[in-house]
Amino acid sequence: MSNFSVPRRSLFLGSVALALVPAAAFATSSPDLGKPAPLFTAVDSNGKSWSLADLKGKVVVLETTNHDCPYVRKHYNGKNMQAQQREAAAKGVVWLTTASNATGEQGAVTPAQANDLTRSRDAAPAAVLIDPQSKIARAYGATVTPHMYIIDAKGVLVYKGGIDSIPSSNVADIPKATQYVRVALDEVLAGKPVTQASTQAYGCTMKYPKTST
Amino acid sequence: MLRFLALLLAALIAVPAFAQSVVQTDNVRAELVSDVATVKPGEPFWVGLHQTIRPKWHTYWKNPGESGLPTEITWTLPAGAKADAIVWPTPALFDIGGITNYGFKDEAMLLVRITPPADLTGPLKIAAEANWLVCEDVCIPEEGKFELTLASGAAATPAPPAVRTLFEAARRRVPMESPWPARYGVAKSGDPTLIIEAKGLKADTIRDVYFFPAEWGAVATMAKQTASVTAEGIRIPLRKGEAKTAMPERLAGTLVLTEKTADGTVKQAFDVSAKLDPAFVPAPVSLAGAASGEPLSLVQALLFALLGGLILNLMPCVFPVLAMKAAAFARLAGQGQSEMRRDGLAYTAGVLASFAAMAAIVVSIRASVGDVAWGFQFQSPVFSLLIAYLFFTVGLNLSGVFDVGGRLAGVGQGLVARGGTTGAFFTGVLAVIVATPCTAPFMAAALGFALSQPAPATVAVLLAMGLGLALPYLALSFTPALQRLMPRPGAWMDRLRQFLAFPMYASAVWMIWVLTQQTGSDGVLYALGGMILIAFAVWLLRLGGGASLGTWLRRGLAAAAVLLAFAATLKLEDGPATAASASGGQTSGVNFEGWERFSRARMAEAVAAGQPVFVDFTAAWCITCLVNERVALETPATKKAFEQAGVVKLKGDWTNRDDEITGVLKEVGRAGVPLYLFWAPGAAAPKILPQVLTEAMILSELSSIQQTKR
Repeated sequence: MSNFSVPRRSLFLGSVALALVPAAAFATSSPDLGKPAPLFTAVDSNGKSWSLADLKGKVVVLETTNHDCPYVRKHYNGKNMQAQQREAAAKGVVWLTTASNATGEQGAVTPAQANDLTRSRDAAPAAVLIDPQSKIARAYGATVTPHMYIIDAKGVLVYKGGIDSIPSSNVADIPKATQYVRVALDEVLAGKPVTQASTQAYGCTMKYPKTST
Repeated sequence: MLRFLALLLAALIAVPAFAQSVVQTDNVRAELVSDVATVKPGEPFWVGLHQTIRPKWHTYWKNPGESGLPTEITWTLPAGAKADAIVWPTPALFDIGGITNYGFKDEAMLLVRITPPADLTGPLKIAAEANWLVCEDVCIPEEGKFELTLASGAAATPAPPAVRTLFEAARRRVPMESPWPARYGVAKSGDPTLIIEAKGLKADTIRDVYFFPAEWGAVATMAKQTASVTAEGIRIPLRKGEAKTAMPERLAGTLVLTEKTADGTVKQAFDVSAKLDPAFVPAPVSLAGAASGEPLSLVQALLFALLGGLILNLMPCVFPVLAMKAAAFARLAGQGQSEMRRDGLAYTAGVLASFAAMAAIVVSIRASVGDVAWGFQFQSPVFSLLIAYLFFTVGLNLSGVFDVGGRLAGVGQGLVARGGTTGAFFTGVLAVIVATPCTAPFMAAALGFALSQPAPATVAVLLAMGLGLALPYLALSFTPALQRLMPRPGAWMDRLRQFLAFPMYASAVWMIWVLTQQTGSDGVLYALGGMILIAFAVWLLRLGGGASLGTWLRRGLAAAAVLLAFAATLKLEDGPATAASASGGQTSGVNFEGWERFSRARMAEAVAAGQPVFVDFTAAWCITCLVNERVALETPATKKAFEQAGVVKLKGDWTNRDDEITGVLKEVGRAGVPLYLFWAPGAAAPKILPQVLTEAMILSELSSIQQTKR
């Protein structure tokens, strides 16, 4: 009888319940690699307007986020996301974090909340875009958070997929994983084609607006 | 008293041999169970991670789809022990607000085969760490640690009945190896199309076909797939996945389909491994292909149908009819433009009316029966025979054996010959009648679309196809410039007409071949005999006219000969299955190894002799039958038990219609197969077994008669 193990909760359990309810009828079609990336205009958490068209000449990283998602937390708690944001910034890359979960859903944030999160997590994106109608996520066919995209200086989509190669919510897996985005960024900046340009993204299901069916 | 307590304690301590490790999280109760109580060193056994999932929540399959993560298990085993990969149950499809996921609701049992070390002494301790993602609209990663200690002994002993039942249920949910070969090809667009070579399936009994790709990457996770079931098998157009690598040599996945049987529907799952077939490049602009990617709009469908109709003009069967039309045109050439136009319009009207009639038949059959497959008429040998006769008669006419103006000159021919507008109209009808059988295989994919649409769309698509067929003529009759290109009438017309008899004869031969596929070699006898009678009747009618007694006698004889020829069709209706059986059942594909052929007499004889009798009514196109044979009837254990119990095994093949079997089915209130009857020795009536069999069910039936014997 000693063999019964005590029911144990996972680390995240008590604290986090993630609402991941996109109710929109959503055709998950993502843009093709090697083609011009879908253009978008959005306002960031500081009220500044960003347009992808204006960023021609610069390499851009897109990161979909939901701060309550265990998979997003994995990469922020492990300081992986912040480290890559800083590296990118140092190389002149524009890193845009986009809070694309719909208003009313978990993971949706006000500009103030977004700024608080950036401060408390010591994050360093170029901007946090507030996308309460999931326009950016939809344009890019994002299915999860974090879903990562790289757009080269000519505005061409050159990477889409996961942040790294081990789909888990365990921080300890980060050092063991291939950091797909970091590798791809280095290749893009070196003017080389991206070897692994499309990988399996993992994370929490994107929550699209319920009303926009 | 103390001793008693000590005994009790010892008994309690012995219990952990069965210990099951349970983890209860907020959303899942997970339990590690083993199908053996005692393990034998070196002998593999099965364990299962049994997840009982909170209602409305779900966990994920090995390929979770567009989001989600599969359950993972990490094993800690003693040295020399081995755990295989998870054997997954058949997944279900979930639509989480437009994002498609593959997984399980309510419960899932993940099976893993464990091989204990050959030199195991003492109990075997199995430890596992599992983590899973469980979602409703909320997703939560959960995990658990499990431990199981199993005693070892000289022989393995089974787990308690409740656990064994759990395993048996779990095994039923594991997809079985596909009984059919599969291949896949890649279109120029990069989209793959999967072909499951399940020949002879009936389209109207197969529902909800879905292919779950085993891995992310090669194939996209699709909310909906539009498969088509044809005589060639199941064709599933897929969309390429996100991976940018080359397509794999083998595309693996699980095929789930629902089969309509007499008593309802049965869901079947098969593991498929499709080989890349470089020679197979799915056409980018076919209705089947187009219907797969984006839903085809009605406008597109009409356009494709029009094209399809145009192409029909190039089919060899239609060609003679068109040539007749061309000859008629040449005759008309001298006359006025309005004459020409009227002729062209009448022909078009004939074609359209025939297609409309066909559409009406399709729609009404669908309304009453539920579904209809193109070529449904070809399941009827009578139809095949009649068409063969028609071709033959038209051929005779073209050969000049009897005149266009002759009386009783073949089914549509007389009307066709009635020059002018009526004639043109019936030429159109004839063109359609002749075109349909010759082109059914070619049009199957296109019509699959039409048939799957609501009634107005079905009619519209079929009419568009008819318009396509008539279009070249219509264009010709309205364009004087084209008419000038037509050769002048002359002797060549007669020669051409005579030459065109030969493609007609060839078509008749083809129809007879189709007939043999349905009826076996006897069909040839009836068909050719019937043709001789028709030729005989034609000859009699040509002998002379007038109202003399001789003429009437000849007419009577001719009518009798024709009637006799048509009587052959009645014979066919009677005997297709027996004919097929006589030719060795080669066309049916039902395996009789180890079984006797069913007949009522044989059944009655064995039952009267007090022998146990098992009757299996099956058909080549019945997937459930096939599955039952694989999992329950043809397993080594069942075969052995049948043998030991001295069971007389009878198999009835209902691939083609068979009145004897239909009669039995009716008596027990069934409309179709599978049907399993079991007569215990001396029983007054057979027991009807469920249409989905398990090995345990058969074994328990057999053991019950063993017990009553004792």
